[in-house]
Amino acid sequence: MTTMTAVSAPRSAPSRVWRIVRLITANPTTTVVLPWAILGTIFLLNWLIWLLIFANVGAEGMTDAQEGIQWSGAAFYIFVYMLVLAVQAINLSFPLALGYGSTRREFSLGAGLTFVLLAAMYAVGMTVGAALENATGGWGLGGTFFRTIYFGGDQPWYLQLWIYFCWFLFFFFTGTIFASVYVRWKALGLIATFAVVGLAAVGVIALLTLSESWNMVWETIAHLGVVGSVSVLLIPSAVSALLGYLLLRRATTRG
Amino acid sequence: MTAVVEVAGLSKHYGGERGSRVHAVTDAGFALEENRIHGLLGRNGAGKTTLMQLLTGQEFASSGEIRVFGQNPVENAKVLDRVCFIKESQRYPDDFRVKHVLATAPRFFADWDEDFADELVERFRVPVGRRMKKLSRGQLSAVGVIVGLASRAPLTFFDEPYLGLDAVARRLFYDTLLADFAEHPRTVVLSTHLIDEVSNLLEHVLVIDEGRIIIDADADELRGSAVDVVGPRGAVEAFTSDREVLHRTGLGGLASATVAGLDEAGRTAARDAGLELAAVSLQQLVIRTTIGESVDPTKGTPE
Repeated sequence: MTTMTAVSAPRSAPSRVWRIVRLITANPTTTVVLPWAILGTIFLLNWLIWLLIFANVGAEGMTDAQEGIQWSGAAFYIFVYMLVLAVQAINLSFPLALGYGSTRREFSLGAGLTFVLLAAMYAVGMTVGAALENATGGWGLGGTFFRTIYFGGDQPWYLQLWIYFCWFLFFFFTGTIFASVYVRWKALGLIATFAVVGLAAVGVIALLTLSESWNMVWETIAHLGVVGSVSVLLIPSAVSALLGYLLLRRATTRG
Repeated sequence: MTAVVEVAGLSKHYGGERGSRVHAVTDAGFALEENRIHGLLGRNGAGKTTLMQLLTGQEFASSGEIRVFGQNPVENAKVLDRVCFIKESQRYPDDFRVKHVLATAPRFFADWDEDFADELVERFRVPVGRRMKKLSRGQLSAVGVIVGLASRAPLTFFDEPYLGLDAVARRLFYDTLLADFAEHPRTVVLSTHLIDEVSNLLEHVLVIDEGRIIIDADADELRGSAVDVVGPRGAVEAFTSDREVLHRTGLGGLASATVAGLDEAGRTAARDAGLELAAVSLQQLVIRTTIGESVDPTKGTPE
């Protein structure tokens, strides 16, 4: 009988966080391949629709139609997908990470890092799309898919990148907070959170309407510009990330 | 001998109200020695999984103290890096196939043995390309067993590892565990209610019932600790009148009583009284102890 208990060096703190990134992205089909494939399909459908519209509006309606397309929300899907991805990643990887002997702190840091990296990757991809859109004159049709109003329209590439990055972070970390509530308190907690968030939203809208402050809001947004406005999104994103960690810190793997 | 796990006055209850409060673990105190195979035995819902979740920092204790490798395990990376606990009801990410489990696990276990894992996959015939959600109960258990064995974690928990496994796979698990344990000693906690199957593996036994630790003893000690005394009713009753009886049954004029802690003199006395002695298996002992006060000891006596 040989006794050879291998005493391996303890893992370093960065590797304990990095392995969570690898856990969440273990199947790249979900995190990378599928979102781009769906976005590609949506793009193709949009392109075909532009073809139909432009063939029918004639020369006089062309400018109008092209302007209208700038408000297209087709690319919005990918942001919602990222919100769902964040929810899934946290809800389903958390119990496995704990079973593997990870701490909640490492898991939260690793999940946060995963989302920052994915946000960067998707922001780069979308910016490349925007650059191509610009270079090809709207994909040969004057269409707008990537350079819509919400994402800054005509911006230099580095600002475009920043705008996308902020939007992606916002959606990832909004997903994080809902996922953390679910892991901690299950469906009941989630319903309560939706109720509270809904009430708060209605309250804010009522307040702004009654005090006739909407103009102030629009002016502030106009004043900040697209880049300034999306940069403000970093605040709720950071708050969500922190709250998410505080919730997970006391969460268990029950049921 | 050093204790890997030390627990004192440990309780875990859910729910706030006094009436609806569930006591999953109540005032548990025990120690688990290093490099042994410990059995955590008990009925379904007795508190086995909760206890293991407490030991691995997955649950938070209501009161009491837990020391694993000398430290509190909760959020303690130093401790948890040496622990593997794939529970019976382990959930996996929806998009995970078996190969994703096998690819991610090594990053969490410093002593992970890749070749051993591959060998186990082959032996347990686990389809590596299949989605975790599509696995049968037995295949799911097999994945947990493979991770548990190949992790070589200094403290490894197996939570009802045989669920859904066929007899061949169960035997394979027991044999592999023993063989690998001999080469790579580590502390193993095996939770189970199939006691007879694993009784030969176990060196130390904890029996938990309704959240309380009711037996904490070495397996060898337990195996000899109780004896069935069988014979004519009158003789059995006379013999057991001043002894500790765990369980009684009777059929017609014959009676049988499970007597605790019968020493050599007692055995001789029983034989002299014309009674027969029969060994009590670990499983029988646990069953008779856990049925406890809920069954009237005279119930086995037909009138």
